[in-house]
Amino acid sequence: MGRKLLLEKAHVENIRLYDVYRREGGYRSVEKALKTMAPDAVTEEVKKSGLRGRGGAGFPAGMKWSFLAKPEGVPRYLVVNADESEPGTFKDRYLMEFLPHLLIEGMIVSSYALGSNNSYIYIRGEYAWIVDILEKAITEAKQNGWLGKNILGSGFDCDIHVQRGAGAYICGEETALIESLEGKRGNPRIKPPFPAVKGVWGCPTVVNNVETIAAVVPIINEGGDEYAKIGVGKSTGTKLISACGNINKPGVYEIDMTISVEDFIYSDEWCGGIANGKKLKACIPGGSSVPILPANLLLKTAKGETRYMNYESLSDGGFASGSMMGSGGFIVLDEDQCIVRNTYSLARFYRHESCGQCSPCREGTGWMEKILWRLENGEGKMSDIDLLWDIQRKIEGNTICPLGDAAAWPVAAAIRHFRDEFEWHVNHAQEAQVRNFGLGHYADEIHIPVST
Amino acid sequence: MAEFNRLVARYPEGKQKSALLPALHLAQDTFGGWLSSETMDYVASLLHIEPIEVYEVATFYSMYNLKPVGKYLFEVCHTGPCMLNGSDNIIDYIKEKLGIKVGETTADGMFTLKTVECLGACGYAPMMQMGKTYREHLTKEKVDAIIAECRNNAVVKN
Ligand SMILES: Cc1cc2nc3c(=O)[nH]c(=O)nc-3n(C[C@H](O)[C@H](O)[C@H](O)COP(=O)(O)O)c2cc1C
Ligand code: SF4
Ligand code: FES
Repeated sequence: MGRKLLLEKAHVENIRLYDVYRREGGYRSVEKALKTMAPDAVTEEVKKSGLRGRGGAGFPAGMKWSFLAKPEGVPRYLVVNADESEPGTFKDRYLMEFLPHLLIEGMIVSSYALGSNNSYIYIRGEYAWIVDILEKAITEAKQNGWLGKNILGSGFDCDIHVQRGAGAYICGEETALIESLEGKRGNPRIKPPFPAVKGVWGCPTVVNNVETIAAVVPIINEGGDEYAKIGVGKSTGTKLISACGNINKPGVYEIDMTISVEDFIYSDEWCGGIANGKKLKACIPGGSSVPILPANLLLKTAKGETRYMNYESLSDGGFASGSMMGSGGFIVLDEDQCIVRNTYSLARFYRHESCGQCSPCREGTGWMEKILWRLENGEGKMSDIDLLWDIQRKIEGNTICPLGDAAAWPVAAAIRHFRDEFEWHVNHAQEAQVRNFGLGHYADEIHIPVST
Repeated sequence: MAEFNRLVARYPEGKQKSALLPALHLAQDTFGGWLSSETMDYVASLLHIEPIEVYEVATFYSMYNLKPVGKYLFEVCHTGPCMLNGSDNIIDYIKEKLGIKVGETTADGMFTLKTVECLGACGYAPMMQMGKTYREHLTKEKVDAIIAECRNNAVVKN
């Protein structure tokens, strides 16, 4: 059993309530930071911890904080990204639903470090009932003197507000989120200027994921160095993984990043194996945007080494034979799942969610969806597979925001690793309507290095 | 109105436009589950912004209904992870049971069926959103029960 820093108390009865949370040791980090540390010292601990952003990009949180511009007389803002819309990802929901005070606590300490007197939680609109949970927690925190004016006599003022989105994946991208917070369409901004200089209402802004901000609590309680001892390499601390798809025990797990992918899937402590006694075919280990891997490359790297559940190991081999940690949305596909169909469903998602500002993304996602629909419905041609490959290449790297890449990568990886299954859909169009391709050779041991 | 003023008070002076998304949610809940152009104009006047600024936003976000919807709106997720767990069968079953296609409303104005993209409940698939709540681990039996529950509630309320 690895250590739990975030979810340790998730099952304590009524932990959602302030009194219980406080009794269990909650809000200690606020006392420690506001009474004994200067704001910069808090940032310093976060730097030492090696904490990487948990929203998907994995950018070191302490470094991001130290980039925040601090012009005299201009307010600064902390905005928590609770938009959580990457398919396969439902960890932030779990954290906010069961441990709302952990997020509030982390926000107070982080706001203190950044000098944000009004901090916002931007939450996806569909999580409507969680808005109520958070607002109740904020009210309780305020009644008990953790929010408002002159908190703990430190002279630091802070209020937290919850803003609901209204159904748009793109608002998870930080500049789109800022636009949305300002009451506009969620069109990503061209960077620079970065939010650290010009963010919400033109003021310096830090946007961090829910889990990132929650992790600040154990970092301050235990010290950055202690936190950094957990995990391995640049994957410090613990990570929440939301596991779903064809497994026996879908759910949210807090792991220390030293366990192997194989253990994570098959151990009863986590996913509990593939559902209905079936075999593992493929997995998207970090949310729908990251490359899908066949079973063989998922469990072992191309060099034949064990693959682990951490940033470095999951991306070992680059896009040729690896994937990414991403948002920690772990999607497992069993032997009966069709890769073409799964890719089609994701392409449809990205087409639906493209904001339409850049033509490669707007047009490209539409084309990819159409072609994948044809292939899936027995109307595809062999040349469609190459066409798909070309389209995804034209999108990647040619857009304002990374949604374009996020749409291109799943298609690229599906073709790269499962080309025979795509070809089978063309060559056996009739048969493909009534049965699935099956496991094929995707779980076989790899003897030759895979090509790109 | 008190609720509306509370929304506006969250933002700095002069940044009341930021309250637009929450204000539209409130308006949609208050005025029959959808946003007519009259409703949108009203929201614009409250926030002292141009109606076009409201239309732009209302059309961008998928949660705002720009057409009337039934009393109960079923929004079934059909993205990858839900699909792996049989969301297509659930959608087909609801269609058959209610006799409507995706995007349609039953003749009695009771139910509207929509498909939506990932709602952050992938581990509890298949699932749908109904009003403020999620209905998860759906089966045919559960769908039957939900429909019966809605019909019941409608009778009780009238
Ligand atoms: C299309 C798109 C969607 C994103 N969605 C989310 C999201 O739902 N939640 C999130 O925390 N970050 C999301 N991100 C990443 C954010 O832009 C940003 O990097 C992140 O919130 C920074 O926080 P972190 O450093 O704590 O991870 C998304 C990025 C893109 C390009
Ligand atoms: S890449 Fe796509 S989503 Fe991002 S700004 Fe361009 S069109 Fe919009
Ligand atoms: S895919 Fe349906 S809730 Fe995520």
